[in-house]
Amino acid sequence: MLELKDLHVEVEGEGIEILKGVNLKVKKGEIHAIMGPNGSGKSTLSKVVAGHPEYEVTKGDILFEGESILELDPDERAHKGVFLAFQYPVEVPGVTNNTLLRESYNTIAASMGREELDPLEFEDYIKDKLDLVQMDPEFLNRSVNTGFSGGEKKRNEIFQMAVLQPKLSLLDETDSGLDIDALKIVSNGINQLHGEDDAVVLITHYQRLLNYITPDYVHVMMGGKIVKSGEKELALELEEKGYDWLEDLATVNGEAK
Amino acid sequence: MAHPTKVEPSFLHRLAKHSPESENWAGIREQSLKDLNTTNFPHRKIEEWRFTDLKPFTRTDFVPLSEADTLPATDIEQYYIPESDRSRLVFINGTFQEKYSSIGGLGKGVTFGNLSDFADHDAVEEYLNKLVNYEEDVFVPFNGLMFEDGAFIHLEKGANAEAPIQVLNLYTDSKQAYIATPRMLVVAEEESDVTIIEDHIGLSENTYMTVPVCEVKAKQKAHIHHVRIQRDSRSALHVSRPIAYVEKNAEYHSYTITLGAKLSRNEPRVVQEDEEVDFTLDGLVLIDGDQIADTHSVMDHRFSHANSHQLHKVVVNGKAHSIFNGKIFVRRDAQKIDSFQENRNLLLSEDGLVNTKPQLEIFADDVLCSHGATIGQLDPEEVFYLQSRGMTEEKAKEVLTYAFALETIENMKVESVHQLLIDEVYRYTKANSVAKVTA
Ligand SMILES: Nc1ncnc2c1ncn2[C@@H]1O[C@H](COP(=O)(O)OP(=O)(O)OP(=O)(O)O)[C@@H](O)[C@H]1O
Ligand SMILES: [Mg+2]
Repeated sequence: MLELKDLHVEVEGEGIEILKGVNLKVKKGEIHAIMGPNGSGKSTLSKVVAGHPEYEVTKGDILFEGESILELDPDERAHKGVFLAFQYPVEVPGVTNNTLLRESYNTIAASMGREELDPLEFEDYIKDKLDLVQMDPEFLNRSVNTGFSGGEKKRNEIFQMAVLQPKLSLLDETDSGLDIDALKIVSNGINQLHGEDDAVVLITHYQRLLNYITPDYVHVMMGGKIVKSGEKELALELEEKGYDWLEDLATVNGEAK
Repeated sequence: MAHPTKVEPSFLHRLAKHSPESENWAGIREQSLKDLNTTNFPHRKIEEWRFTDLKPFTRTDFVPLSEADTLPATDIEQYYIPESDRSRLVFINGTFQEKYSSIGGLGKGVTFGNLSDFADHDAVEEYLNKLVNYEEDVFVPFNGLMFEDGAFIHLEKGANAEAPIQVLNLYTDSKQAYIATPRMLVVAEEESDVTIIEDHIGLSENTYMTVPVCEVKAKQKAHIHHVRIQRDSRSALHVSRPIAYVEKNAEYHSYTITLGAKLSRNEPRVVQEDEEVDFTLDGLVLIDGDQIADTHSVMDHRFSHANSHQLHKVVVNGKAHSIFNGKIFVRRDAQKIDSFQENRNLLLSEDGLVNTKPQLEIFADDVLCSHGATIGQLDPEEVFYLQSRGMTEEKAKEVLTYAFALETIENMKVESVHQLLIDEVYRYTKANSVAKVTA
């Protein structure tokens, strides 16, 4: 589904290299977790896959379902089924959640060959999704994320994921800011949404999330590279030992982090 | 008032020589002539006109309205608002049109019609030309020398206008550039209530100048809701002087929507005449191309206990230029004033220009005044967020611009006007969504 090949990324126009050769392969039906210290490039990775214009790919490639998506705009990537749940969801005053979601659902549905829904059909469709993340329907009439609490914003991201049914979901620290109950609800939602035809990449700092969502693979990102990959147990090891013991791996090839 | 400097005659002074004689307004003519002949036409060396250059218009060959070959107006029904089918006053180039107007009435105590038919009315004698106080100004006396017709709206004590009154000002095509001088007087006696929709529409793309003067008096406990829409020709010059006086426990709420004209200079003023008043002076400006829109407003708090609100929102694209100067005066004895002023500007292009100057002059101490001005582009993070949800870049920008502008028209009480403005905002954002985002 997703393949990153020796991906090098700089901040557009500033010459600061953030990703320094990332390789990653995510297949249909899989869940991958990416962990790593602050500033190691996890969010950058997710934003680059979603097509953020601030970052420039200087080397390497991003393949989605076997084809390079480097030249595609963010909306075109969304149309193909890429979804990013933001670490810091953006407030969009004046645009209601409902307006955004219906507009999004229908444009994505059109390009994926799914049926578009009129406002009434959409209202029905959306009910289940609200239930899935136990979100108050009131939120539909509020401006996107505007004045939402940190946890509400995160829940709203997963609600959008539920509505849009992406093929690839990049969830950037969706667990941060959620209380214990909300964490259960949201994880449960993600588990229900995930099936054998889609893939999920979870970015997280906490092993706790992985108690609820079982990843097939765990990767450690340090200094703009994936320095170690393993299975679920790797997360436990990280929880116990921190990242210091991996420091050496981050500087292989003589490169400073 | 002494005017020591010598007055340089301008095109307005020249054209004023064609002042039509008026039996009704002889006194106003006399006063206006005196005022005009002692006042210079403004230029950029005057602080108040620093950013707004009228030169392109001083070079225009304006003729008196009576000498212009104006074309007839057609299809004007499209501008009627359905709520006002019994309460519509239509003016073409400032002249009253009885056949298009509808003065069927709005119930007891509500009078409206052509000002020149009400020259003997007590309210006209008492207030016309008496409220309009603009210092060192050539435009008000010019209007005073040229107008004959106008809109007159009067509400008796306790009268409630059942429907909004539409004052439709149409400007027709003409080979020669002409100057129109619409006039308006609104007097709402104690405890009366009225909604006024004032619309200025250029029917073609010709060059003309319009100098609307509007005087409003809200007596004790009266409520006035005043919407002003400016959709002049893209070649026109619009200079307006709307002023309102608000008495004890009265409310005056005005909303000015600026869409048209090549250059507009709008100078709304509200004067508090007693304690316990509530007023609004909101504005929405949507400009592009080479348009210039200048708002110089005054909110004059003279007594205690006032609530005032001014949200002035501006969207600029192309090479357009917006100027805002919002003066808030709080006089020494005016305590317990709660005044809000905010000017928010959205700059869609690199060549657009915004000058903003909130100006607070507060001489009282127990006052809550919040004010602020912001100038910004569309936030690239918001654009990316919407794009990541499947919207094209154009659509995302359109949605965000629309959302920015919409806030100011939420308070429209008249449904068709609300819808009309939503359509205007939509038309603007659609036409301008191709603009570049500058990060
Ligand atoms: N637009 C930018 N301009 C300059 N530096 C940037 C930019 N974007 C990211 N960076 C830098 O790149 C590095 C990686 O940032 P990124 O947000 O990807 O880290 P992260 O792994 O998600 O960290 P965290 O765990 O704190 O969320 C950081 O040092 C950050 O400051
Ligand atoms: Mg991050």
